[in-house]
Amino acid sequence: MTFERDARTALADGQLRGALRHATTLFGERRRAALATVPDWEGARDRARAIKDETLAHLDRYLEEFTANAERAGAQVHWARDAAEACDIIGRIAQQRGARTVVKSKSMASEEIHLNAALARRGIEPVETDLGEYIVQLAGETPSHIVVPAIHKTKAQIAALFADKLGIALSDDVATLAAAARQALRRRFAEADLGISGVNFAVAETGTILILENEGNARLTTSLPRTHLALMGIEKVIPRFADLEVFLQLLPRSGTGQALTAYQSLLTGTKRRPEDEGPDELHIVLLDNGRSQMLASAVTRQTLACIRCGACLNACPVYRQIGGHAYGSVYPGPIGAVLTPQLLGTGRSSELPYASSLCGACRDVCPVKIDIPAVLLHLRAQAVDRGAGKRRVLERLAFWAYATVMARPRLLEWLVRAARTLRILPPLAAWTKWRDLRPLAPRSFREQWRAGLRDQRDPNA
Amino acid sequence: MRVSLFVTCLADQLWPSAAVGTVQVLRRLGCVVEFDERQTCCGQPAFNTGYRPAARTLAQRLIEIFESSTADAIVSPSGSCTAMVHHYHQLFDDGGWRARARGVAERTHELSSFLVNRLGVEDVGASFSGRLTWHDACHGLRDLGIRTEPRRLLRRVKGAELVELPNAETCCGFGGTFSVKYPEISVAMLDEKVDAIERAGVEAVVSGDASCLMQIGGRLSRRGSPVRAVHLAEVLASTL
Amino acid sequence: MRSGDARHEILYAIRTNLAQDTSPPILSSPSPEGTGGQGVRTPIPRDLVARFREQLVAVGALCTAVRGETEAAAALARILTDAGARRVVGSDSAVVQRLLHAMGDGFELERLDRLSRDELFSCDAGVTTAQWGIAETGTLVLESAREQSRLLSLVPPIHVAVLSTRCICDSLGDALARVSPASHAVTFITGPSRTSDIELTLVVGVHGPQTVHVLLMEEA
Repeated sequence: MTFERDARTALADGQLRGALRHATTLFGERRRAALATVPDWEGARDRARAIKDETLAHLDRYLEEFTANAERAGAQVHWARDAAEACDIIGRIAQQRGARTVVKSKSMASEEIHLNAALARRGIEPVETDLGEYIVQLAGETPSHIVVPAIHKTKAQIAALFADKLGIALSDDVATLAAAARQALRRRFAEADLGISGVNFAVAETGTILILENEGNARLTTSLPRTHLALMGIEKVIPRFADLEVFLQLLPRSGTGQALTAYQSLLTGTKRRPEDEGPDELHIVLLDNGRSQMLASAVTRQTLACIRCGACLNACPVYRQIGGHAYGSVYPGPIGAVLTPQLLGTGRSSELPYASSLCGACRDVCPVKIDIPAVLLHLRAQAVDRGAGKRRVLERLAFWAYATVMARPRLLEWLVRAARTLRILPPLAAWTKWRDLRPLAPRSFREQWRAGLRDQRDPNA
Repeated sequence: MRVSLFVTCLADQLWPSAAVGTVQVLRRLGCVVEFDERQTCCGQPAFNTGYRPAARTLAQRLIEIFESSTADAIVSPSGSCTAMVHHYHQLFDDGGWRARARGVAERTHELSSFLVNRLGVEDVGASFSGRLTWHDACHGLRDLGIRTEPRRLLRRVKGAELVELPNAETCCGFGGTFSVKYPEISVAMLDEKVDAIERAGVEAVVSGDASCLMQIGGRLSRRGSPVRAVHLAEVLASTL
Repeated sequence: MRSGDARHEILYAIRTNLAQDTSPPILSSPSPEGTGGQGVRTPIPRDLVARFREQLVAVGALCTAVRGETEAAAALARILTDAGARRVVGSDSAVVQRLLHAMGDGFELERLDRLSRDELFSCDAGVTTAQWGIAETGTLVLESAREQSRLLSLVPPIHVAVLSTRCICDSLGDALARVSPASHAVTFITGPSRTSDIELTLVVGVHGPQTVHVLLMEEA
C-alpha cells in the first residue's frame, strides 16, 4: 500500500514534520486574521458556492459561452478529453511554433496530465518559473503543498541544490537564493518563445481568463513570449465578470491570509493592434480528464467547486503530519483525497478516501463550503460496493458479524460476557503497539441498570 | 421531563460510568430516565467505513426503537453517535424513512447541549476538584456546533479549574477505523494532543465522547502520564 | 491523433452526467449569520484617498503625493535618484512622457518600442500611469487599451505609477465594473513582487518589481 509506505517515510522525517507544522500553523493564523477584518465572510462563502453550483449545473452552456467569447476576442480554444489528448495538443502547438525555450507558470492541471514529461519526449523542456516549482523541478521531485510546493525543503537543502545546478556559491541567505533563481530565470524569460500558464478563473460572459500570483513569473510567462498557452480544467469557468469579486475576496485570504496577491492578470483574447505589447497568439486548452464524470451526483459534483486555495491542507491534522507526497498526485491533502481517486483513479485511490479521521476541519475552512467528509464517505461506500482493495474479504466478514450481532442485543450481551470471562481481547496490535487498550467494563451499563440503577432515585432530590 | 437514554454501544460496554453519570445528572435535575434495552449500536462504524446497507439496517432498528418511546427527549453521552442519528436521513431514498429519521433526530440531543440548550441549566450541582482541560470531539463540535455548552457546564463545577488547550479543537486522531488502519498517523496526531495536555499541567482531560477518551487515555497511560481521561458526564455527576 | 470531435464529446459527457443526477442539489449548510449575496466589502470611509494611501503602505508600496505636473516631475526625479535609477523607460502615456522630459538631466530615457528585449531587462525603472486605484486594497489597475504598461510595470526592478486621485475607486467590485472590455490585458498590482517559497521567509522583489512607487496627483 503505497500511501501507507509514503506516510511512514514522512512521519520518520523530523525536519519535514517541523516544516509542515510551522507552515500549516502560520497559514492558519494568517487566514484567521484575514477573516477577522471582513464583515460577512459566511455570506461570501455562500455566494461563491451558489455561483459554483449554478455554473456546474449548466456547465455545458457556460463552457460554450466562454469559448465563443474567447474566440471572438482572438483566442484559439482547444478541447481535450483526457491527459493524453491535452499533451498532444500542447505538444503540437509547441512544435509547430518551433518553440525551443518554453517557460511555465504555476499550473496544477499541467502536472495532473504530466505535461513536462510529454513535452520532454518531443525534445521540449519547459522551465518552471514559480520559485517553489522551480526548486522542485531542479531537485527532480514533486510538489508537497499547493501554495508552497517546496515547503519540504530547508534553505540549506536549496542552497546545496542551487550550488550544484546553478553553480552559485553556497549561501543559505534566503534573499540571496531567491535572487539567484531570479537571475537564472530572467534569461529564460527573455528568450522564451512559448509561455504555458494555468488559469484560476475563466469568465463565460467575456471570455476572460484570470491568473493570480505573487512573484510576477505568470505575468512574464503570459506577456513576453510570442505565444501564450493557458491550460484549464473545465470546472474553472464562472458565469459573469462581476463574479470575480467574491472569488478574489475568498481565495487569497483562505490560502495565505493575504487580502490580495500581488498580481491578478485578466486576459481577454489577443492584442487588438499588432504593435501592442503581449503575445500574438493565445491558446486555451479546456481539459476534461474525468471532470465531466463527477457531475453525475450532487455529492461528487461539489468537488468541482474547488478553487485550489490550499486552506484545507493547512487545516488538516493528517496533512500536517505527513505532507503532500504521500497522496501520490499533484493534489494533496483533503481535496486531494477526494479529487485524485475521482480524476486519476490511480493505485492509491482505494487508500486515499480512508486516509482521514473525518474530523471536518477542512469543511470549516473551505471558501466554497465543499463537504469533503461527505465526499470521502461517498467514495468509501463506493469502494465497498465495488469490492475495491485487497483487504476487503476479512473486513466484509467483520462487518457482517458486527451487523448480525448488533441486531441481536441478547447475543451481543452473551458475547461480551464471554469475552470478559474468558479474557478474550481482539488482537488489535495496530492499537496496542502505541496505546493501552481499555478493558471491557466488569459490569456494562445495562447490567448496572438492571441491577438497581433503573429504580434509583436521585439521592439529592 | 421524561428522557430516553441513548446509551451508545461504546459507553455501554467500555465506559459505563459515562452512561451512569448521564442518568444521575438528569435525575438530579428532575428528569425521569428510561432505558430501552433493545438498543445496541447506531451503525456509525459501518457508515464510516462504507458499509451502507449494514448502517441502514441498524439505523432502521434504532429509529423504530426510539419512535416507540413517548419520552420528551432522547439524550446521549456521545456527540458522534448523536451526529450519526442526525445524518440518518442521508441513508434513505425512501421519503417515508427519511421523514421518520428526521423525526427521531429532532428529539435526539447530546448531553451538554441538552442540559444547556433544552433544560437551560449550567450549574448542575457538581463538585470535582482539580485542574481540568476540555477536548472538543470533532462530530460534536463540527456537526452539532457544540462548543460553549461543555465549557459553561465545567466552569460551574465547584472546585474545578478549567484550563483551555491551545489545540482543543484539533482532532485526537481516533476517527473510528482510521485509528487502526493508519495507526502511525493516528498516533502522530494523538501525540500533539497529548503533548499539549501534559504542558497544560492538568489532572484530567475531559471530553464528551468515549471514543476520544479511549484514544487519548490509552496514550496518556502508555506514556506514563498521571493525567486521567474523564467523560463530561462523570464530572457532572460527581458530588465529591 | 485522436479522431472524433473532442468538443462534442465533452459537451455530450457533461449533459449526460448532469442528467443522471436526480438528487436535490446539495446546498452547503446555511451559515447562521450569513446574509447571502452581499459579499464582504469592508465599509469604506469617506476619504478614499486616505484609505488608499494607508493600504499602499500596508502592502509595501511607497507613495508621494503632488499637486500639478511641475511638482510631479521634481518628485519623480527625486524618487528615481533615491532609488539609484539611471536608465528609465516611460510608457506611451502623454503625462508620463511630459514628466520624464521635465525631470532634467541625470537620466537615460528610453522608449519601449525602441528597446530590444535584453535592453528592457537591463533598465532600472519603468514609469507608467495607472488607470485606477482601489482604496480597499491599495491596488493599481492597468488597462492595456489605454496604455502600453504591461512590461514596464513588470520587468524593471522599480515601477513608478502616476495616478490621479480622481481615479481612486473604493472596492474590487467597483474596479471590475469600471475596466474596459476593450482591454485584452487588465493587470491588478498590489505592492511589490514577493515570495515565501523558501522556508516561508518573505523575499520582496522576485520576478516583478521590488519597488512600487505611486506618484499620486492630487486633483480637486
